[in-house]
Amino acid sequence: MTVIEIEGLRKSYGSKTPVEDVSLSVEKGEIFGIAGPNGAGKTTVVECASGLRDRDGGTLRVLGLDPRTDRRKLLQRIGAQLQEAALPDSIKVGEALAMYASLYDKPADWRAVMEEWGLSDKRRARFASLSGGWKQRLFIALALVGDPELVFLDELTTGLDPSARRTTWGLIRKLRERGVTVVMVTHFMDEAEALCDRMAIIGQGRVLALGTPRELTEQGRSDSLDEAYFALTEGAVA
Amino acid sequence: MKGITNVTAVELKLIMRDPMSAFFALAFPAIMLWVKMRNDRPLPGGLPAIDGTVPMLIVFVIGLAALTILPATLAGYRERRVLKRLRATPATPTLIFSSQWAAHTLLAVIGTALLVGIGLAVYGLRTPGNLGGVLLAWLLGALSLGAIGLLIGALVPGGRTATVVGLSLFFPMAFLSGAIIPRETMGGSMRAIGDLTPMAPAVQALRDGWVGNPVSPLTLGIMVAICLVAGGVAVKAFRW
Repeated sequence: MTVIEIEGLRKSYGSKTPVEDVSLSVEKGEIFGIAGPNGAGKTTVVECASGLRDRDGGTLRVLGLDPRTDRRKLLQRIGAQLQEAALPDSIKVGEALAMYASLYDKPADWRAVMEEWGLSDKRRARFASLSGGWKQRLFIALALVGDPELVFLDELTTGLDPSARRTTWGLIRKLRERGVTVVMVTHFMDEAEALCDRMAIIGQGRVLALGTPRELTEQGRSDSLDEAYFALTEGAVA
Repeated sequence: MKGITNVTAVELKLIMRDPMSAFFALAFPAIMLWVKMRNDRPLPGGLPAIDGTVPMLIVFVIGLAALTILPATLAGYRERRVLKRLRATPATPTLIFSSQWAAHTLLAVIGTALLVGIGLAVYGLRTPGNLGGVLLAWLLGALSLGAIGLLIGALVPGGRTATVVGLSLFFPMAFLSGAIIPRETMGGSMRAIGDLTPMAPAVQALRDGWVGNPVSPLTLGIMVAICLVAGGVAVKAFRW
């Protein structure tokens, strides 16, 4: 079953067109990675698919809905962790989870989500007092508290120390086990290799390569995904 | 509905956790009441000072919560991308506005209760002669000033700017409209200028109701109009 179907997506801001022509599809239950140089349009693709931005061209179906016309219905069924988003400094972990759960028609049990993601001990901790790793963990939990079928994770592990990254990877695998489809934007090829079932490499607003990490490594005629990434994005660095 | 009560409750807790907001909305007006009542002479016209001062300071509290604390919260949330995160949930701009308004109005309710409690217990405040009029005036005051606060919060880019804009509107308004100085002691021209501020109808209506006079429909109508116009523009101007 296809969860996301993107055909010829185009989005411009003024004279800039970060997304020229992107087509890809994401299947139910997979972890789908999106990689590419800065300014390649990764975040814009995610924002269009999650209903945060309207597209200028192309077709887009997410969970069978058009994010443009069925935005409200779609937001009930997806979760998102966004780059640089934040919570009020003095909100407590438990309050944030309960409050976000109350925004959805059919939320998950926020206490169960808190327990599952190891946040119960931090329940009374204020957001500002959490370390980067705990904040990210809370953001994943907030993305899941609406009991979504599809989750968008944008540069989840950027800025985390190696052990917090490893822990986060484990949490993302757990999502797949629960049957949640995950779309993740990442800069790290080791992360993509460890987690993604399939991935797209985007450059200058287009899909440069699409496939499993192994297929992309072969396509880049390289020994590792890391080297393949450089081979595939050569000349596409904005 | 579950969303709005939940968000409002959390927002109220967050406001109360900020020592500055709690001080300015709760302790500061109580201190002002004490300072003003140290010179307990009847107002020109014979009204006991306390029966004028408490309704005045109630509008002061509503104005402070609605015009300075509310815009700072809302604009600060935009600056820090708290709103951006909420945008990826089913939360609507209406929910954001209503919960912010409700939380800051509840802060004003607490401040009002404190002033009335001190007035009754310490200074022999009379209970409102026209309770219905007082409640209606209070609510319309909170709605009209709240709508202006939401408008500031929707327009200014960040929390600090919102505080500056809010305070520079609030203090002149509070002085000129008679929320700090009794209208009876103000000069005619000053009162005429003050009557043009959106806080004046709230002061008049609340004071009229408190002494048992009917509340002028025109005054109430002005507050409804302010609420609709400022609220409407705020909804249009809102950015996540």
